[in-house]
Amino acid sequence: MEFVGLEEDRLHFSWISSAEAVKFADVAKQVAEKVKVLGPNKKFVKRYPTKDTE
Amino acid sequence: MKMISIKKSDWAGAMEKVQKSYRLAGPVKEKKGHTFRELKDGETPDLEYSETRMSVKEVVLPQSEVMFSYSLDENKEGHHILEEVPFDETPRAAVGIRPYDAKAVEILKKNFMTEDYKDPYFERRYENLTLVGMAENNPSPVNFSTSCGTGPFDESCLDIILADAGDSYIGKALTEKGEKFAAAAGFAEGDSGVEAKLAELKEQAEGKIKSKVSFDKIEKMTILDLYEAPFWEEAAFACINCGTCTYACPTCWCFDIQDEVKGKDGVRMRNWDTCMSEVYSVHTTGHDPRHEAWQRTRNRFMHKLKYYLDKYEDGIMCVGCGRCVSQCPVNIDIRKVCQQMNDYEPSK
Amino acid sequence: MDAYTDKIKEISKKILSEGKVDVVIGFRKGTLGYMSEPYMAKSEKEAENLVFDCNCRMNLVNYVTNRKDKVGIVVKGCDSRNLVTHIIENKIKREQLYIIGVPCTGLADKKALLDLAEGEITSVEDDNETITIKGDGFEKKVAKSDVLQSNCKTCIKRNPVIFDELAGPEVAELEISDRFADVDEVEKMSADERWNFFGELLSECTRCYACRNACPLCYCPTCFVDESRPQWVGKSDNETDVLTYHFLRAFHDAGRCTDCGACEAACPMDIKMRYFTRKTIKDCVEKYGSEAGMELDKRPALDQYKINDPNEFIK
Repeated sequence: MEFVGLEEDRLHFSWISSAEAVKFADVAKQVAEKVKVLGPNKKFVKRYPTKDTE
Repeated sequence: MKMISIKKSDWAGAMEKVQKSYRLAGPVKEKKGHTFRELKDGETPDLEYSETRMSVKEVVLPQSEVMFSYSLDENKEGHHILEEVPFDETPRAAVGIRPYDAKAVEILKKNFMTEDYKDPYFERRYENLTLVGMAENNPSPVNFSTSCGTGPFDESCLDIILADAGDSYIGKALTEKGEKFAAAAGFAEGDSGVEAKLAELKEQAEGKIKSKVSFDKIEKMTILDLYEAPFWEEAAFACINCGTCTYACPTCWCFDIQDEVKGKDGVRMRNWDTCMSEVYSVHTTGHDPRHEAWQRTRNRFMHKLKYYLDKYEDGIMCVGCGRCVSQCPVNIDIRKVCQQMNDYEPSK
Repeated sequence: MDAYTDKIKEISKKILSEGKVDVVIGFRKGTLGYMSEPYMAKSEKEAENLVFDCNCRMNLVNYVTNRKDKVGIVVKGCDSRNLVTHIIENKIKREQLYIIGVPCTGLADKKALLDLAEGEITSVEDDNETITIKGDGFEKKVAKSDVLQSNCKTCIKRNPVIFDELAGPEVAELEISDRFADVDEVEKMSADERWNFFGELLSECTRCYACRNACPLCYCPTCFVDESRPQWVGKSDNETDVLTYHFLRAFHDAGRCTDCGACEAACPMDIKMRYFTRKTIKDCVEKYGSEAGMELDKRPALDQYKINDPNEFIK
């Protein structure tokens, strides 16, 4: 994903067991913080044609 | 008919002037060579090109065109009503197209504007468009346009024809639309020598075309004879069924209609389609009359060189531009296939 | 190259007459001087049409997928690796094949030849060292290394990995110092630069799918871009849909791509879509030490699980 130019911090992988509630909360917080820094994603978002596409 | 002569040094100025009242499309030099596309304001169509990979087809039949939009959101005004997409009515001109590409536009018109039915999307683009041709002094080796009832200097489908005469472009305004464009661009009037010079250049250019096809015997054969001819599997073996030939072809007119929806809002659009693709011919039942790859290739050639010929009785559905020949990844050559068809002798 | 052609004809006639194969899939001379056309010879007589030269840019493994008959096939080093993948993925059986291997010194880049030509090209001759471009009123000789397809410059296997017979003596493998220089270049860019780079790269894509259809790895009965129920991706010339197509195709080929270059050679717009597949090759080499299609008993990198697979990306 980062190769085509999406920011690395938008994609996270984590292995969390159903028993690891605290880890889950921590990861979710981290993800949210990192994505907040980046702001709204503008790349790879399809703009739907609403008018003459030329 | 008005003669035109314009110094090359004045060309950019004339195009700048004409852009006040016209939107232009034309050849532009980019990194990989010339492409044909809509021009931005201030861009000049570059007439010093040899060929463009894509043709003028994009201007009258865009690869993707939104037909109408709709919303199912009951909070929005006009919900559940198909809304026409606004169309820019500014006159447009395709500047610097090859004369045989203009013939291709006429072929497209046969499909989209019949006596009974007029496709509104094609029609509005067609009626709005002035075709300013640039004759080709040095046709490419794969060009066989003179065999297809047109040629590098064919005036029949253009509004203006221009030709390169050294340090100036000379030509003629051929129609009313052409005269309007010439006036808007402020093209200087040419002298009486223009006609003779054009004829001379035409003869030279046509003489350079060595590539020929004939279809005189295809006309007399039955569809079934040709359809069942034994050479198709071999002729089409190499075909990988990509859409290169159909998209590059200025006369291939097939399209596919798709809805694109996001939430409750959507548009219906039409996109170029290609008969080379399996999803083109597969029926909703799952049956596919052209399941084998070679059958789809056969269909393309049969359509261009036989079905069209029989239906319209006005030559083949090909203007001999040679784009499919030079762009085909596996070197399937319509000239060779056409010859094969024409030379075929069905056993009685 | 004529020696290769002669040998291919000789082998083909032999295996056709002995009934070892029903057909031989190779190349014949094209109508354009710089092209060779994939061709299927069904008889000794038709085998006379077979040729091999630096214009044989297509990967013939693409033409044997799911065939039921006995097939003779002409393969270069890279193609032979695709044949291995095909056999592993049950697209053809080894017993059905009679493999005519071509020790390959590389293909000539079509665009490079056309740029050098001063008019119509009537023939391109190749003696493994020098390319002679002949045409209407001109003749040019260039070092083969100057007009090689870019994938041939970083080729890791010029000799076929699997074959029944070779069409010539094995050639020396290349010594490559900087195999992924092009991918490294892109990786050095910032995220925004990369995004713009790929946007520009694909801006002329018409979605003709020549790259997909030229690829022996792309054999799905219905490609995800053609599916309409569900519709995974829009079908217009929308830039996001175009990128999605190229991006996902590379993912599907990851760990299987041999960098044969057929996709780029097929592209009518000269788009360098190998940046995507080469990134996947680089990752598979660096992370899993795996090259596609080198051995018949080794499945593609992403088709197997090992306990020591790198997983530092999982936090």
